[in-house]
Amino acid sequence: MEKPINIFYMGKGGVGKSTSATLNSLFLAQRGFEVLIVSLDPAHNQSDIFEKDLSDKPKQVAPHLKAIEIDQDHWIKRYLKDVHEQIRRTYSYLTAFNLEKYFKVIKHSPGLEEYALILAFKEINRKFSKMDFLVFDMAPTALSLKFFNLPTLSLIWINHLLALRKEIIKKRELITKVRLMKKEIETDKVLSRIQDSIQEYTTLKGLFEDPDLTKINLVLNPDQLSLAESKRIVEGLGAINISLSQVIVNKMQENSSMDHINREFKGIPMLKVPFSETPLIGLDVLTKFLDANEEKLMEQPLQILKNGVK
Amino acid sequence: MISFLKRIQCKITDACKIGGEIGRSKAVETIESELEEMENIFGVLVLGSFVGMPSPPMQISLDLMPYMEKELLLMMEKVDTANEPISQLFSVFDID
Repeated sequence: MEKPINIFYMGKGGVGKSTSATLNSLFLAQRGFEVLIVSLDPAHNQSDIFEKDLSDKPKQVAPHLKAIEIDQDHWIKRYLKDVHEQIRRTYSYLTAFNLEKYFKVIKHSPGLEEYALILAFKEINRKFSKMDFLVFDMAPTALSLKFFNLPTLSLIWINHLLALRKEIIKKRELITKVRLMKKEIETDKVLSRIQDSIQEYTTLKGLFEDPDLTKINLVLNPDQLSLAESKRIVEGLGAINISLSQVIVNKMQENSSMDHINREFKGIPMLKVPFSETPLIGLDVLTKFLDANEEKLMEQPLQILKNGVK
Repeated sequence: MISFLKRIQCKITDACKIGGEIGRSKAVETIESELEEMENIFGVLVLGSFVGMPSPPMQISLDLMPYMEKELLLMMEKVDTANEPISQLFSVFDID
């Protein structure tokens, strides 16, 4: 396999995204795949589920399965520190000094949360490129949608900036030509950075839109509220050209009505996970649950296996 | 006589050259102020949050910021003279 398959778990808060992501990861790891489960939810659950202290360094939680919890604040700080360092290097001392106070406020700017997650996602894909599957336990809907929306939104802005920058360079070249009788040879660093950013965001957008490398699993419960929010997630993702791979109906009971759900997600592979009387915490309980429900759970994850390499 | 005429021709040529030079310089100055305005717009678009304007996603501003000291300073300067746009325009077109 050249690149790992990214599996994202999305859904309304409390429907069982983390548990579903864990069960899927364990299921794949039991079949010999190398799996890394990554919590991108700022309110992490994986430590509690595996009953282990997890951090932003991968920890073995089961054979073939490692887990990691992303520290969002750490990524924001790291990113701002890099920008700050660059400014110190390129700006005159006085300007850089005057900007110090802004940097103390910038870390609280809206939008940096999802960018921190994007930075972490990119780093994980780079660092763990040898893994078979990267399973992402996502934050609740709003932040997750912003995460997937970020490349598209950034590209809209940055393409406008590119057009304006090109105009500026054209005018500048004209002036230099008249004044110095030669063209300006120096490359515009802003333009180079804009072009690099376009490349980065386009690659990321392409990755999110590629159904072979990105699987979006939507988790919901058989109730009206989670169904309503799930519809909004599908609409939000559809608007940026990302389609669902699988719907996971979690906490299914004997009397659960599936009519609305079946109608809403017609044609999308659906996995029904039964309600568990005992809380699904700890490796033993999770393994037992997988063993007990193997038949039901085998159907859909096997589709991923078939599409995979092993 | 011929040398006198030649001198006059030279003077006229020089005068034309100087005139052309002045005209070109004036035209370039106008383009320069237009360029400055565009750079200011670019600065405001990217770094507008520093002077209270709507701005692109924060990471775009921050990614470009290390290369935009000139635009940042220009923008700050423009903020200082923003209350006198007419006088600025008059000075561009040399109107006293």
